[in-house]
Amino acid sequence: MSALRDLAAGLDMEPEPGAAGEMHATCSEERFAPRVAALAEGAILADLFATTGERRRRLSAVFEAAGDPGWLVLHCDLSSDSFTSVTPLVHSAAWYEREIREMHGLEPLGHPMPARLRLLDWPEGVPPMRAGPGAAARGEPSEPERVPVVRGRGVFQIPLGPVRSGPQESGEFLFNSGGEDLVAVSPLLGYKLRAVERLAEGRSPEEGLVLAERLAGVSAFANGLAYAQAVERSLGIRVGPRQRAARSLLNELERLHNHLGDIGRLAEATGLMVAAAQYAALKEEVLRAGADLTAHRYLRGALSIGGLSAPLPSSGLHGLRRALPGWHRRTERMRVLLEATGTFTDRLETTARLRARYAAAHNLVGPVGRSAAVDRDCRRDHPYAAYEELRFEVPVRPEGDAQARLAVRIEEVRQSLGILDQLLENGFDRERSGGGEPETARHEALGWCEGAGGQTLHWVELDADARIVRWRARPPAFVNWHVYSEACASGNNLTDHPVIEASFALSHAEFDR
Amino acid sequence: MSRWIALGLRRGMLTTGYPRHPDPGAPPAAVRVRAEALTAEQAVRAADLCPTGAIQVEGDAGTGALRVDMGRCVMCGRCVRALPDAFTYSTAPEVAVRSRERLTLRAVWSRGEGPQPEAIEAAEELQRRSLSLFRRSLHIRHVDAGSCNGCESELQMLGSPVYDLHRLGLFFTPTPRHADCLLVTGVVTRQMEQPLRDTYDAMPEPKLVVAAGACAIAGGPFEGGLTVRGPLDHVLPVDVYVPGCPPSPLALLHALLLAVGRAQERCSPGVRDGS
Ligand code: SF4
Ligand code: SF4
Repeated sequence: MSALRDLAAGLDMEPEPGAAGEMHATCSEERFAPRVAALAEGAILADLFATTGERRRRLSAVFEAAGDPGWLVLHCDLSSDSFTSVTPLVHSAAWYEREIREMHGLEPLGHPMPARLRLLDWPEGVPPMRAGPGAAARGEPSEPERVPVVRGRGVFQIPLGPVRSGPQESGEFLFNSGGEDLVAVSPLLGYKLRAVERLAEGRSPEEGLVLAERLAGVSAFANGLAYAQAVERSLGIRVGPRQRAARSLLNELERLHNHLGDIGRLAEATGLMVAAAQYAALKEEVLRAGADLTAHRYLRGALSIGGLSAPLPSSGLHGLRRALPGWHRRTERMRVLLEATGTFTDRLETTARLRARYAAAHNLVGPVGRSAAVDRDCRRDHPYAAYEELRFEVPVRPEGDAQARLAVRIEEVRQSLGILDQLLENGFDRERSGGGEPETARHEALGWCEGAGGQTLHWVELDADARIVRWRARPPAFVNWHVYSEACASGNNLTDHPVIEASFALSHAEFDR
Repeated sequence: MSRWIALGLRRGMLTTGYPRHPDPGAPPAAVRVRAEALTAEQAVRAADLCPTGAIQVEGDAGTGALRVDMGRCVMCGRCVRALPDAFTYSTAPEVAVRSRERLTLRAVWSRGEGPQPEAIEAAEELQRRSLSLFRRSLHIRHVDAGSCNGCESELQMLGSPVYDLHRLGLFFTPTPRHADCLLVTGVVTRQMEQPLRDTYDAMPEPKLVVAAGACAIAGGPFEGGLTVRGPLDHVLPVDVYVPGCPPSPLALLHALLLAVGRAQERCSPGVRDGS
């Protein structure tokens, strides 16, 4: 029944039960890399991270498998500041290991390209997740490690950023171009590194929630929910059915405003201003509906550890109920119009195409993955909140181009509206059974949520006083930025870049953290 | 294309009446405090609840002082839910101020007496030589110095038909050389400090600087982070502070109009003046 259990058994592993649905296993340093590689053959490497503290260095790899709602976490204690890199065997580990190197100072031996991922201006040897307070003030910043530059006749480089032209997030792109065409694009990220996870250490779970909700503004609820669930699962807290339904409702509201915003920005990038304006106006209505429900447009403060900080007010629910039919009608009308606007679709077809094999090898998530045949959605694969009782479809497209990314988002808007209908129909007016006994406290657990950008995976480790020892956030943008360069390189022009960027809609704040 | 225009026309006017009329759908823009409604114990409790140190107390149940700094408030709502008699949301968007001190309130208590707010000086109209220059139109250069993208999301909404900032003569510009106003979001990270300074230096005099959001004002939830430099006014001189996490589009509009002297300052964390 459990694909992960069978896989582990095949490798002679005997995992112990962790928080509900989780299995934990440990292995020696020497066996870690081959074991991760063997597991990655039959399962998906969902995260790979380090935990460092006084006299403590631990690597953890998180796996999931298609058709299995559970998770397998493989831990390994290190005896020194280096470990054998997994990347030569599992390509999708590349950025995780670079992050471990720069943030924790653990060296992945044998990594093909262990350059820094985000620290451009930072003293050598002061890993932010491990250094003592005030460390950043010590030492001279070292030379930035830059990405490789394409050399050749007529190839020149154009930098863009980090300060962008409109009200946008800071981030840099280096274009290698031969005139019109894009030979390569390298995103230079990390300008906004706030070391958010480090800030949570030693704090209470409720204080950590404030940070989790501010890791990224437009995915405040998804990151907050994944974090809250990780804490609840660590402490064995069960959430009541009504609050689970409310969490699904807010989850969908956030997915909705993001998708509407992303579709609008894509229209704007192609010059379709009326469409951009109409989508933005609709997004504004969704934000206002969120404020009516939670007193915050981005739903911050709505969550608490164990449920919601306050029940959803009936006035807000009524407002939403009244608004939904109009949202259905308008999104449908705009979808038809978008599909009929040739000048729009022409810019999207074949633009920034991701090959399905490449997308699968990187374990992509969210609409970016699903538009390149990676069929993952943790609302369905690992049901949480109220998703087990909800009916919805997960759109998947094979093409992998900007058009497919748009098509997936458009369909997801429709599905989200359908979920909201169901929740309002039967979610809030009567108390439902469920809840039940608390689970055993484990002090560490995963939590997850399908945000608009995709799978949002958090990990929390608490000490005996329930203070945060380690909080790890692996938001969707961290995974998907990995393939941005590759997608840009396939026969696109410089002038396509705004369209490419909008079609990916990747968060800098989530990546930089 | 014509079908899109038809759709646009059919949808009609979507624009808010603000600033001429209040927007009935305005979201909470700030937390307001009625210090008199608190006991000393409740003041201590509020300070414990507040995750960013926006509410602080010194002293004990006998004598002490409550200090509320709306610049650090991230609108988490904890104080409002726990002590609704003393902490409430205000939906009036006029929360921007011209000096950092105007965002704070102090209340002192002594034996048997609950906290009493100290008198707040009337808003002192700082007449800036540059203000009148920008009365008609203002060109804004935005820099994200290390935000969570919540603030940008609201800035982007300003361009939507609902807020339509162009009708007020406000424009975002991609070139610092054409900019009159630098609008900064986010805590200043170590790695954004230089690009931020470069942008400021490239702007012609006179120039205004607006700190938007709890992060730019005080570091917000990221205060004290190892990889952050600090609040904006540690790096550049700031003319206008607009609190919020993020400040709503209406609050941003007010802040920009305040920056150019086309709106009044109304904010104070105490409920007595202001809203
Ligand atoms: S709403 Fe503001 S003042 Fe109140 S507890 Fe939260 S951060 Fe503190
Ligand atoms: S003030 Fe709030 S919304 Fe703005 S950048 Fe900071 S955390 Fe994000």
